Amino acid sequence: MEATHVAVRGGEILAVGDATCADQWGEVRHDDSLQDTVLMPGFIEGHAHMMAGGMWEYAYAGFHDRIDPDGKLWSGLTDIDAVIGGLSDFADTLEEGQPLVGWGFDPIFLTSERMNKKHLDQISTTRPIAIMFSNFHLMCVNSVALEIAGFDQTTNAEGVIKGTDGQPTGELQEMAAMFPVMRRLGIDFRGLSQKESVIRAYGDVARRAGVTTVTDLYSQMETEDVSTMLRVTGSDDFALRIVPALGAAEGPKTIADKAEALAKLSTDKLRLGAVKLMTDGSIQGWTARVKSPGYVGGQPNGIWNTPPETIFALVEELHSRGIQMHIHVNGDEAAEVTLNAIEAALRKYPWTGHRHVLQHCQLMGRDLFTRAADMGVCCNIFANHIYYFGDQHVALTLGLDRAERMDGARSAIDAGVNIALHSDAPVTPMAPLFTAWCAVNRQTMSGRTLGVAQCIDVEEALFAITMGAAYTLKLDSEIGSIETGKRADFVVLGDDPLAVDPMALKDVPIMGTVFGGRVHLL
Amino acid sequence: MKPRLPLIVISGYLGAGKTTLINRVLAEDHGLKLMVMVNDFGAINIDAALIAEASEDTMTLTNGCVCCTMGADLFMAIGDVLDREQRPDHLVIEASGIADPARIAQVAQAEPDLVYGGIVTVVDGLSFEMLARDDQIGAQVAGQVSAADLILISKMARPNPTLSMRLCVQARAAVFDLTEVEALAPLLFGSGIQDLPDISTMRHAPYLGWSSVSDRAFAYADLLALLKARPEGLFRFKGFVAHNDTSGWEVQCVGPTVNIKPLKTAQKTRVVGIGLRSEITAKQIDRWWGG
Repeated sequence: MEATHVAVRGGEILAVGDATCADQWGEVRHDDSLQDTVLMPGFIEGHAHMMAGGMWEYAYAGFHDRIDPDGKLWSGLTDIDAVIGGLSDFADTLEEGQPLVGWGFDPIFLTSERMNKKHLDQISTTRPIAIMFSNFHLMCVNSVALEIAGFDQTTNAEGVIKGTDGQPTGELQEMAAMFPVMRRLGIDFRGLSQKESVIRAYGDVARRAGVTTVTDLYSQMETEDVSTMLRVTGSDDFALRIVPALGAAEGPKTIADKAEALAKLSTDKLRLGAVKLMTDGSIQGWTARVKSPGYVGGQPNGIWNTPPETIFALVEELHSRGIQMHIHVNGDEAAEVTLNAIEAALRKYPWTGHRHVLQHCQLMGRDLFTRAADMGVCCNIFANHIYYFGDQHVALTLGLDRAERMDGARSAIDAGVNIALHSDAPVTPMAPLFTAWCAVNRQTMSGRTLGVAQCIDVEEALFAITMGAAYTLKLDSEIGSIETGKRADFVVLGDDPLAVDPMALKDVPIMGTVFGGRVHLL
Repeated sequence: MKPRLPLIVISGYLGAGKTTLINRVLAEDHGLKLMVMVNDFGAINIDAALIAEASEDTMTLTNGCVCCTMGADLFMAIGDVLDREQRPDHLVIEASGIADPARIAQVAQAEPDLVYGGIVTVVDGLSFEMLARDDQIGAQVAGQVSAADLILISKMARPNPTLSMRLCVQARAAVFDLTEVEALAPLLFGSGIQDLPDISTMRHAPYLGWSSVSDRAFAYADLLALLKARPEGLFRFKGFVAHNDTSGWEVQCVGPTVNIKPLKTAQKTRVVGIGLRSEITAKQIDRWWGG
C-alpha cells in the first residue's frame, strides 16, 4: 500500500506510513498543507552545470520555450523576425550603450536566411549586440560590436566570416574569433559559475524542476570559489545540495591532490571530492569518437580532448587513490577506451564499490553496457538528446539504425547497469520529469518515435531520476527515496506520475520542493 | 597605446619535448621578457639560481621572464596578460598534447592587441612515424604538424633528412632538427636578428638574418600580394610598413601565414627576416622585397 504520510524531524524522515506512523515517537504536529499533492523523493540531476543558473544574466534567444529562475516564461523565438522582436524588447530594458548579450540561438531550426549583422543592426546601431549560439561555438554580432573589436575588411582571421563584399558578416566562429568581442563587451560565459547570484539562480532553476540534489560536472574551483560556495550553500534558505566534480584539467597527481583536499571541505549541502574527465567531443558536432562504420556522411572520426594514454594515466591515478570519477563519453569508441582504462586500473587496484560513472553514454550498445555492469561502472544516459537532436542524428550523423539505439536505456537496464538520466543543463533545460518522459517515449521534436525497443517504463525512469542518480553520487544511503532515516527531500507534484498517461509524464506540474523538511513552494 | 603582443603557440604530442624546449627558451640569453604559459607547472625545470621568485603557479626568473600555469580558461588567461600594465615582449603558450594549435593561434589573427607569432610544433623524431599511423590519435598528431609554421625535431642523435623532407612537405613549414639549432630565440621570436652572426661567419647556424629600412609605402592589397609571394625559405618576416601620413601597417609573416594589421600612426618601413640558409640568400630576399 502507498504511504499517505511522512513524519519529519530535524530535516530527517522519522517515519513513513499513514496518519499514525509517528505516534510512537511522542507528540506529533500534523501538517496537511500538501494534502492535495503527490510527494516523490526529490529529483536528482546527475549531470548539469552551474552555468544553467548564470546564463539568465543574458537574454534568451532560443527556439524552444524556456522558463528562467524567477519563473518567467521566455517564449521560443521561432523565426528571425521573432528573434529581432524579442531581443528588441529586451534591449528596451537595458541602459543606453549597455551591451545586449543573448544566448541559446540555434540556426538549425530557422530555415530563413542566416543571421547576420544587418538583422541585429535593426535592434540597435548604437549599442553593441552579441548573440551566442546554443552550441557556444558561434556568435553573431552587430556592426557596433564589429567596430569595437576592430573587425573590418583587413581582418584576416579564420573565424571572422566575410561576405561577398569582403566585409565581416557579423558571424564569428570559434573562441579565437569570438574572443575580441567577448573581451571588450565583458562577456564571460564560463566564468558564470562561482558568483553568489549565479549559485542562487542555480538553486532556483533546480527548485522549479523539482530537483533537491544537483551536480556541477566540470567545476573549476579555486580556494576563493570554494569559500563562496560553502557560504552560499550553507545558508538556511538555500534549498539545494550541490555535488560538484572537479574538472581534470591538469596532470593526474595534481588533480588527485586537489580532489582529496576538496573532499575534506565537504558539508551536507556541498559534496566535494569527485573528479570529471573529458574524453571526446559531441556527436552532433561530429567530434565524438565513434567506432566503425563512423559517421553516415563520411565525416572523419571525431577528436580526443584527452588522448587515450592520458585517460589511462588519469584513471589509474584517481582510481588508485579511491577517487570517484565521472567520465564524459559520447561516442562508443570513447566509451570503450574508458572501460579499458577502468579495467586496467581495476586489475591493478581491485576496488568494489568505486561506482565510476560514464556520462552521456550515447552510443553504447549492449556489449559495452555489459562490460560496464561487469565492472560496477554506472551509466548516466543523456535521454534529452533523443528529443532535441534525434532527428538530426537520423538525417546527418548516424542514420536511422544507430539513432534508434542511441541513449539505450533499455539495453543498459537489461545488462544490469545502474543508470541515471540527465539533461546536461544548460545544454537542454533541467527538468527530470521531461528527461524521464524522453526515456519512456523516445519521441523526437518532429514527433517520431525513435527506437521503440529502447523505451523503458515509467517506474524505471522515475527510479533513474531518484535512486539511480543517488547511487551514481554515492548518496543512496541519504537521499533518493522516501525512507525512514533519509533526508526529508521531496518534490511536490500536482499529479501522480504513475497514474497519468506516459505521454503526459512531462506535463505533471511541479509545485515546489521540500528540502530537509522545509517546504519551498513555487 | 600599449604595443601589440606577439603570441607563439608551442604544440606537439605527449612526450614530444615541448617542456624541454620551453626550459631551453627560458634559460637562453636572448634579452627578451617572455611570458610562458604551460600545462604542467611541475615539469618546468629551471636552474634554481635563475629563479627570482616562485609561487604555487607563477615563477619569475632573474632575466625577467615569467612562467605560469594557464588555469581553467586559456582565453581568460590571454585576456589577463593583455590587461597587464606592462605587457611582456612575447607570449608563449604551450598547447596540451592533443590540442589543435591552430584553434589557439587563430586568436592572434583576430585580436587586434595580439600579433600572430606562429605555431611551433615539436616532433619526436623517434616515434612520429608510428604515432602518425595510430588509429586513435594519428589524425590529431598529423594535424599538429599540418598546422605548424615551424617544426622542430627532437630526440635524434643526428638529423634524419627523410623525416625532415616528409614533415616539410606535409606542413609547408620550415623544419629544423634541434641538434642543428644553437639559439632558439631568433627562430621562435624573430628577435635579435641584428645580432646574428654575419653570413660568412655563421658556418653552423642553419638560418640567416636580413633587414631593410626604406621610405617605400604600400597600399593594403599590394602589400598583401607581395607578402603572399614571399620566397619559400624566408621563414620569418616582420616589421612596420609605411602607408600614408596618418596610418601604417604592422606585418608578421611566419611559415605560410601572412598577417597585416593596421596602425593608426604613420610608419617608416623597417622590416627584418630570417631565412633558411639552405634555401635562400640575402640577395634573393633583396630582390623580392626590392629597393
